[in-house]
Amino acid sequence: MSAPGPGPLSPVALGKDGDDRLVIEWNDGHRAVYPWVYLRQQCPCAGCREERQQPPDPFRVLKPSELAPLRPLKMEPVGRYAYKITWSDGHDSGIYTLEHLRALCQCPQCTRR
Amino acid sequence: MQPPGGMPQKLSLPGVKNLIAVASGKGGVGKSTVAANLALALQKQGGRVGLMDADIYGPSVPIMMGLQGVDPQTTAFPMEKYGLRLMSMGFIVKQEQAVIWRGPMVHRAITQFLTDLDWGQLDYLVIDLPPGTGDAQLTLTQTAPLTGAVIVTTPQDVSLIDARKGLEMFRQVRVPVLGIVENMSYFIGDDGKRYEIFRHGGGKKLAAEAGVPFLGEIPIDPRVAESGDTGEPIVRKYPDSAVAKAYLALAATVSDGLAKAGKGPELPTLQL
Repeated sequence: MSAPGPGPLSPVALGKDGDDRLVIEWNDGHRAVYPWVYLRQQCPCAGCREERQQPPDPFRVLKPSELAPLRPLKMEPVGRYAYKITWSDGHDSGIYTLEHLRALCQCPQCTRR
Repeated sequence: MQPPGGMPQKLSLPGVKNLIAVASGKGGVGKSTVAANLALALQKQGGRVGLMDADIYGPSVPIMMGLQGVDPQTTAFPMEKYGLRLMSMGFIVKQEQAVIWRGPMVHRAITQFLTDLDWGQLDYLVIDLPPGTGDAQLTLTQTAPLTGAVIVTTPQDVSLIDARKGLEMFRQVRVPVLGIVENMSYFIGDDGKRYEIFRHGGGKKLAAEAGVPFLGEIPIDPRVAESGDTGEPIVRKYPDSAVAKAYLALAATVSDGLAKAGKGPELPTLQL
């Protein structure tokens, strides 16, 4: 095996905290919380990353699908290293690696840092 | 980014006990030769083995297994030869025809090889990857439950530098690396002397540096090329040769490594 000793950070369980938040229990005992809206804002797909780097488009028109409240439909593992979230507006190209997910934790302890 | 049409569901391949990727960073290190001979050596140990050629652009399995000129309209895949179950893009396109595809097509072909074919009950499915860290590798690591990867290198730095990239790729996608095998390690001349044509000890050094097992050295023997080109890999054609013995030792080390590594934990899921 490639990694002797304690394995890399990995989720042990996924859960929901109401309708608004995702909870991930990690193998180091950390309980991470993520507002779904925040996860979407941090979508790592190339399209969203590029959009975040652009100045806001003053002529942007909302699509009908963007008017309905956004919610996650599915959250599935990708291989052994990431998750993919399918959103209610059809967007599903973001692959959240485990390292990235861990870094996105919004619990009070992590956001203080 | 992902290919058009969305990413496929993760495959489970319930009949396949172990999925082994044979990879390298650099091309020309003998990856396909290692994959074919490793598959045959695993079979000699008593395993039921398949070999999937994921090198869409430069498939080698048809020539190495003596299966050229297959008519895809009348042939059932995977094919069988020497007791191995085999699939390759080379069975589908003519030998002289080039496959000029962008990534999404490669992705689709590899996914179809894994999903649409009945691989049956296998102890090992060896996957011969193309060189590099691109589309084929990503598709496999994202969709197939790889049990482990074997990295092939030759001893010189120009090969090792790319093998490091392959190692890093598997680390990032959390596929266990079973170890590094050094191909074309040395040549034994008629005078009985050992000639280290491509330098010495690179594979072992890289394995130590990366903290992964060193799986062994495979010597150079002109019969490797001869048997590959005539459609009967050396493990089968010259079973008493030093190279064939090196492959049998490699197969033993790989199957031990797989047994120790296990399948690894799956990521937990969430019902929404």
